Amino acid sequence: MIRTKTILAATTATMLAGPALAQTEVVWWDFLAGGDGVRMKALIEEFNEEHPDINITATTLEWGIPFYTKVRTSAAVGEGPDIMTYHLSRIPLALEEGVLSPITDDDLEAAGLSTDDFFPSAVDAASGPDGTLYAVPFDIHSIVLYYNKSYLEGTEFLDDNGELTGIDSLEDFNRALEVAEENGSENPLSFQTGGEGGVWRVFYTLLGQQGGQLIEDGEVLPGDNTEKATRALEIMRDWREAGWIPEQAEYEASVALFTSGQSAFHMNGVWEVPTMTDMAAQDTLGFEWGAVQVPTLLDETATWADSHAFAIPVQGEDEMSEEKRDAVMTVIGWMNRNSIGWADAGHIPAYVPTTQSDAYQSMEPNATYASLADTAFFDPRSEIAGVASPVYDTALNIMIPSIHGFFPPEEAVAQLKDELEGAMD
Amino acid sequence: MATKNKTLRRNLIALSLIAPFTLTFLLVFAWPTYKVIQLSFTDAPLIGAGEWVGLDNYRDLLGDRLFWIALKNNGYFLLLTIIPTTAIALAIALAVNRLKGWVQALILAVFFLPYILPVSVVTLIWAWMLDFQFGILQPVIEFFVGERVAVFRDPYWVMPMIAVVTIWWTNGFNVLLFLAGLRNIPQELYEAAALDGATPRQKFLRVTWPLLWPVTALVLTLQLILQLKLFDQVYLLSQGGPFNTSQVLLLLVYREAFQQNDGGYASAVALVLFVIIMVVSILQFQLLRIRGKR
Repeated sequence: MIRTKTILAATTATMLAGPALAQTEVVWWDFLAGGDGVRMKALIEEFNEEHPDINITATTLEWGIPFYTKVRTSAAVGEGPDIMTYHLSRIPLALEEGVLSPITDDDLEAAGLSTDDFFPSAVDAASGPDGTLYAVPFDIHSIVLYYNKSYLEGTEFLDDNGELTGIDSLEDFNRALEVAEENGSENPLSFQTGGEGGVWRVFYTLLGQQGGQLIEDGEVLPGDNTEKATRALEIMRDWREAGWIPEQAEYEASVALFTSGQSAFHMNGVWEVPTMTDMAAQDTLGFEWGAVQVPTLLDETATWADSHAFAIPVQGEDEMSEEKRDAVMTVIGWMNRNSIGWADAGHIPAYVPTTQSDAYQSMEPNATYASLADTAFFDPRSEIAGVASPVYDTALNIMIPSIHGFFPPEEAVAQLKDELEGAMD
Repeated sequence: MATKNKTLRRNLIALSLIAPFTLTFLLVFAWPTYKVIQLSFTDAPLIGAGEWVGLDNYRDLLGDRLFWIALKNNGYFLLLTIIPTTAIALAIALAVNRLKGWVQALILAVFFLPYILPVSVVTLIWAWMLDFQFGILQPVIEFFVGERVAVFRDPYWVMPMIAVVTIWWTNGFNVLLFLAGLRNIPQELYEAAALDGATPRQKFLRVTWPLLWPVTALVLTLQLILQLKLFDQVYLLSQGGPFNTSQVLLLLVYREAFQQNDGGYASAVALVLFVIIMVVSILQFQLLRIRGKR
């Protein structure tokens, strides 16, 4: 009797699950918990609706070291996801850990993509030293210069259309800060001066604008790169001494300084664009704003950049079935072709056709700063660099105290070299 | 024959009774400890096995500037916490002991409350109170030193402030221990002392303090072990900065293992810390016992 019942129940269950049997389950992990996470969930939902044969089950984990530790441990025993988001700055570390399954040409074909569809800088960042592709780029995100027009009205720094203009050197920029200060802006340039993220991004931008490299041929700041790094720190220290950047501002405080109308300029990631757009739409911002690519203050045009990408972790000892791999690549292809939904989060889609589309070209200020993708200056390709790496630690540990005058930039750079070289071996 | 059977049965029962503990102990303590020792002689990554490298990790350790800085900071933190927390706990316990009834329970609860908070909550509370731009404690600091201080970004303030947070957080437990010790001192001794005309000072020095010594020794030793294992507060408040003034050994272990994937080297540091804690705490406890017997 009991047996009959069980069989009946099982049969019913199978019948109910019938249509779902043909579905391929794709397990998805990401670290997108903020405003961009909401946009990503919308994309996933849309995908699931359009694809009855594939179902994405998504989980959001904590950004940074917790995410990457979990990926490594789970991939080692084959319990990882089928697809995950990954920072391209972490690729060298990923190769050392051996957690990523290479993306082959067949894979790309299954996704309907080719490497020519992406910004070359992103493809470079996603490849190993031998040119093997380990991830499919999804976006390029960088810092931009936000500005508050009310402090610049009637000065030479706003053109007839009310756009920022006339900043072609450090002197110009410093003068603009001075003018803004005279017009009542207390800390005319706000960025996260008390946390590693903000300080690192600005420092690396200034280093890149001098043509400098943090790590070259396995050496930290070789040759005249030391002087360039010192110069970058000096510029930041001078800003602090002049009172132009806030003292020890945490991330939220640095954003608040700008949105509350105290700071005339704000250097921060493109991911804050939705914040400004939303506030302006709700009339809570209280001033006209704009955002541009960080101007060329030194010798070259360059801005720190990182990239979100999709990667497939190794499955322990096993191989992913061909059917599943096709499904995963379908997901990756679809996401890139629909990345206009992701551009809404401020990020620049790495998929060039999206950035060339009319829909994107009419998005402001996104279309204005999209030019930075061509001169994106990615984190050093080293296993000590990237999100949550020793390099980020030195920003907190050494750069911040130096900017705030605890010890001179030369000494800070010497310490930084010492510490990073120690971390390398 | 019958006796033999009986002994066997008794032994089996005894074995089955201690088995759950022994097995758990072997599984979650002895085995990992063995693995750490083994790993520390290899160049293993965080996951998986590595090559045998002999004493290389330990040799590197001796030449690692960060290791020595961390060791020094651990020592500094001990100085900042152990004696102050013990003295404060004793003072609070003496005061609470004079109270009666529900007032005593209430006051004790107030002092014990921070102890039940998770460390992340504790550090959040203090980070907010000490926030450079908006913290409610900044005016207090401004009043005493003349300017605002970003305490967790300042090389001179960072360790003392972490010590303050730690003492505030963990002191309730020490108060409880002292209070239990105080209640174990027979009331007659105080009555006898009073009859002999002892002053309150003499009562404390001749009766309370000597009889409380075993508890004091226990508190000191527990604190020593606990404070050597400092990690959470530093990780959450200052991440070892600025320029390594709050770098401690466990943070070094964490960075090596989880950030840089050096399981072998991290194991070596962890093992050194383990040995330091063991040696220092045994030494201290023995020393304190000798003092107590005198």
